[in-house]
Parts: sequence; C-alpha cells; structure tokens
Amino acid sequence: MTIGLVILAVALAAAFYMAWTIGANDVANAMGTSVGSGALTLISAILLAAVFEFSGAVLVGASVTETISKGIIEVGLFERTGPLGEDGPMLLALGMICALLASAIWLHAATHFGMPVSTTHSIVGAVFGIGIVSFGFRGVDWSTIGQIVASWLISPLLGGVLAFGTFITVRRLILESPDPVAATRRYAPYIIGVVVGVMTLSFIYKVLSRRFEAPSVLLSLLIAAGLGAAVGAVAGAFVRATRPARDAGTFTYVERVFALLQIATACFVAFAHGANDVANAVGPLATIATLYNTGFTEVVGRVGVPTWTLFLGGGGIVLGLATLGHRVIATIGRQITEITPTRGFSAEFGAATTVLIASSLGLPISTTHTLVGGVIGVGFGHGIAALNLATVRRIVTSWVATVPVAAVLAAVLFVVARAVVL
Amino acid sequence: MRSILGLFAKSPFGPLAEHTQRVHDTVVLIRPLMEAFIEGDWTRTQEIYERISRLEHDADVIKNDIRDHLPKSLFLPVDRGDVLLFLREQDRVADAAEDLGVLLTMRRTPTPPALKRVVLDLVDSVIRTSEAWFEAAAELPTLQEASFAGAEVDKMMERIKRVSDLEWEADQRQATASKVLFEHEDEIGAVSVMMWMNILRVLGAVANHAENSADMLRLMMARR
Repeated sequence: MTIGLVILAVALAAAFYMAWTIGANDVANAMGTSVGSGALTLISAILLAAVFEFSGAVLVGASVTETISKGIIEVGLFERTGPLGEDGPMLLALGMICALLASAIWLHAATHFGMPVSTTHSIVGAVFGIGIVSFGFRGVDWSTIGQIVASWLISPLLGGVLAFGTFITVRRLILESPDPVAATRRYAPYIIGVVVGVMTLSFIYKVLSRRFEAPSVLLSLLIAAGLGAAVGAVAGAFVRATRPARDAGTFTYVERVFALLQIATACFVAFAHGANDVANAVGPLATIATLYNTGFTEVVGRVGVPTWTLFLGGGGIVLGLATLGHRVIATIGRQITEITPTRGFSAEFGAATTVLIASSLGLPISTTHTLVGGVIGVGFGHGIAALNLATVRRIVTSWVATVPVAAVLAAVLFVVARAVVL
Repeated sequence: MRSILGLFAKSPFGPLAEHTQRVHDTVVLIRPLMEAFIEGDWTRTQEIYERISRLEHDADVIKNDIRDHLPKSLFLPVDRGDVLLFLREQDRVADAAEDLGVLLTMRRTPTPPALKRVVLDLVDSVIRTSEAWFEAAAELPTLQEASFAGAEVDKMMERIKRVSDLEWEADQRQATASKVLFEHEDEIGAVSVMMWMNILRVLGAVANHAENSADMLRLMMARR
C-alpha cells in the first residue's frame, strides 16, 4: 500500500507542476494585450488573472477526464482482464503521471522560449505517447489527431476573421467618424450590450454546461439578450455621464472607454480559461485518485473530479502566472506600446466569440491559437502599427511540434517509470 | 519570454514622429541663421550653424534606427516602401538646413542692401511651408490610430494641400529674390553672386523637401 501512497504523492506533485506551467504559459493570452495597451498595470493584471483563473477553476472547473483518458486511449484496455493483465490499473496510474510530467516539461520549455502553445494539445499528445507505448499504434484514436490538425487551421482562421470583423466595425462606427468622441458615446451601450450578450452565451455553453444541464437554445439566447440589453443600458448611461478631458487627443477618450471593455473581456477570458484548462492538470490526477481509492485494482470508466483537486489545480495556475507569468508580461509591458485598447479589445473579443461558436458546434479549438489569429486579423484591418511575421512562423512551428514532442517525451518517461516501478 | 505578444513588433510610427520633431527643430533655426548672416554677424552665424549640425546628426541617428528596425518580415498598415520614402524626404529637409549653414559659414559673403527684405520674405515663406509640413507629419501617429481611414484622412489631405500651396509661394519668392540679386550683381562681385545663387537654391530646397515629404504621406493613404 505504501507504493500506492507514493504514486498518489508523485501524481499530486506532477499535477501541480502541470497547473503551474499552464498558468505561466497561458497568462499572456488573457492579460498580455491589456498590459500592452496600458489598460491594466502589471500588478493589477496579475491580481485580476489570479482571481478570475482561480474562481473559474474552482467554481466551474469541470471534468475532461473523459476526453483525456477515454477519448484518446480506451481506458477499458487497462483493466485487470485486459491485454496488460494484472498490472493494468497500476500502468494506467503511471501513464497518467508520465503524461502530466511530459506535457508540463514541454509547456515549461515552450514558456521559456516564448512560444504560446496549446496546453490541451500538449496533454493530449502526452496521453497518445502513453497509448502507443502500451498498445502500439492500434491504441491511437486517429480522429482525435485529425481534430487537432484541423484546429491548427480553424482556430486562427476563425479567430482572425472575427477579430477583423470586430475591428472593422469599431473602425467604421467610431474611428472613421468625423467625431469619434460623440460616436463612442452613441454606440457604447450597443457595443457593451453585444459583448455582455456573447459573454453570457459563452458562460452558459462553455462553463455552466460542463457542470449543469444547459438551458435550451432559445432560453439561453433570451437570457443573453436580456442581460446584454440591461448591462448595455446601465454601462452606456455611465459612459455618457463621463466627459473627455478638455485638451486630450482625438482618440484618448475613445481608448479610455475601450480600455474598460478590454479589461472586462480579459477577465472573462481568464475565467473561462481557468474553468476549461484546469482539467488538463486535474483530469489525469482525478483518474489516479480514483485508482488509489480502489487500491489500483479497478479501472473506472468515468471518474468524478473531487473538489480538492480543483483547488490544487487553481492554486497551481495562480502560482504559475504569479511567478513565470510575471516575467512574461513584464517584458511585454516595456516593449509594446503599439496595441491600443480598441485593438486589444477586438482581438480578445474575436477570440472569445470564436471559442464560443466553435465549442457549440463541437469543433476542437485552442484559445491560444485563436488569439494569435485574432491579433493578425486586427493587423489585416490596418489596426496594428507593426506585426512581426517572423514570429508567426516560430509560433506555428511550436504548435505543430507540440503533439509529437509531448508524445515522445511521455513515452520515454513511461518506459523508464515502468521499468523502475514494476 | 515573449509568448503571444512576441507578435507585436516595435512600431516605426513613434520614432518617425521623433524624427519629424528633430527635423523641425533644425528648420526653426533657419530664420535666426539668415538674420545673423545678413547682418554680417559671423560668430553668431557659426554658432547657429553648429546647433543645426548637431540636431541634424541627432535626426540621422533616429533615421538609421528606424531603418534598422524595419525588416521585410514586418507587417505594417501601410506600404513599407512608402514609410522609407517619407523618412528619406523628411531627412532631406534637415540636410538642406545643414547645407545652408555650411554655405553661410564657408565664406563671408556680403548682402546687397536691396536683397535683405526679399530674402527675409523668402525665408518666411520657407518657414511657413515647413510649419505646414510639420503640422501634417506630426499627426502621423493620430492617422495610424485611426488606421489610415475616415475623417483623419480628410484632415490630413487638407494639411498636405496647404503645404503644396505654401511651397508654390516659396518658389515665387525664390524667383523674385534671384531677379533682385542680378539687378544688384555689380555691388558684390561674381563670387558673391555665385554664393547667393546657391544660398537661394538651398533655401528653396528646404521647402521642396518639406513638400515632397508631405506628398509621401499622401501616398501612404492613397495606396490603401
């Protein structure tokens, strides 16, 4: 029984490390452009990210154990009666630990070299590695691989198109108008209303539906429309009550209003990220915890996620963004002054909307990839002073590398661990 | 450690505005320079020339920095070539101001009394053209903020048109000054006449390059 306890302890540490790297790698997604535009200071960005990531993770962080272990490799194969025999359940536990470690190491390295990779693709790749070592290539579900490859194209394309559309709309309505200040005051309630509506829908489908029964489409739309109209009216009245500074530049007032929208969008993205991505660390841990409870004798197909593991995952993410993420954003804050709130808002809102549409259509999509597409989309709307296309090549390379690197890393770790433990 | 924000490159528009400011700083010294020269105050002429020369060098440093940070892999809202052409023409404004300083300090050239007023009129006209250019060029960051579209484009087109009108006026005054110079050619000797021809030409060049630089702004907007 002591070996079981050791495995559980190692699993805890590995899951925490994974959560830590998720926080470090992804914090720039939610908060980076807000710091870059000056809408948030570094400290307030970290604090807001911590609050929203943690509450997202703990309040609605839910189980993707099904996708992590069942969708990729057939968990049933690990049963004592399966092809691996008596050691099956123990091998599953070891495999999950190796998957966590491998994807955490890859995320750590990617963060170190400044490559925004998908944390989901990383853990999926690592679990593949375990599956291949255990059962050969027949253990691989190629349709999941196909979905990941499709998401390399779909995520940035859809994110880019929607961000482009958002920015062009802001441009037409406000930036191009003869009096941008008056235009901002006129359209603020509608823009805020639409943003709140999309956030509400996203909240219902991406977040609530993981824990609870989702309301019908009509009801969801009604709730979103009602909430959007109400918040839009109140916030719009608030905006109209403010006045631009007398000697400010043409766009100073416009950008100040959009800074608030950008912060709201950023907090939402952080919340949704905490809710969705905590599972990448916690899912495999939950599998191991369930195995531990049965004394590594039984494989349970569908495992619940204990609340304490969500706290562990949320805490890890917060620690990651506070330690490494701090450095990521600090560097950015000094280097970038080009991205203004109208641009940052357009990119973030386009990405958030894409994630909503894609997930309700059941398309696999990565928030990271979507945001990269969003930024480029705003660039195509002539919105950004200078984009570094050389970086795009580097980022795409790291996307493609994620699944195979995580898989090979996990496989190597698994072979070693198997030899040591059994 | 740059993550997704490694996508954002250093914007050339901030340094471009800085370059505009530095070039403008050299141009505003032209009037005191010409006044000192016409009055035959050679020490003051030398002193102002040295200030212009230093400012022109500062502008060169900024210019080279912009060029160094404008690789082809950069994705800009305007054509990269247009940005570089604008920068080149803008830099030539400061170059012309420095050339003027060189001409005025290389030889103690006398001024025929009748020439004084028409030359100062020409200087005024050149300064006005440059001021109009400065008003246009200094708004480039605002134009970028408006993503090179809408009402800001119309305002910019107005400013550019004004530069062009003023430059035409400067041309007229340069022609007038040349005529007056030859009416009084016997008062100062052939070498001084040659010097004055060059001085008038370089003064005109300041306004010419200011106009060309403003025209490059027009290209940036028109090619979109």
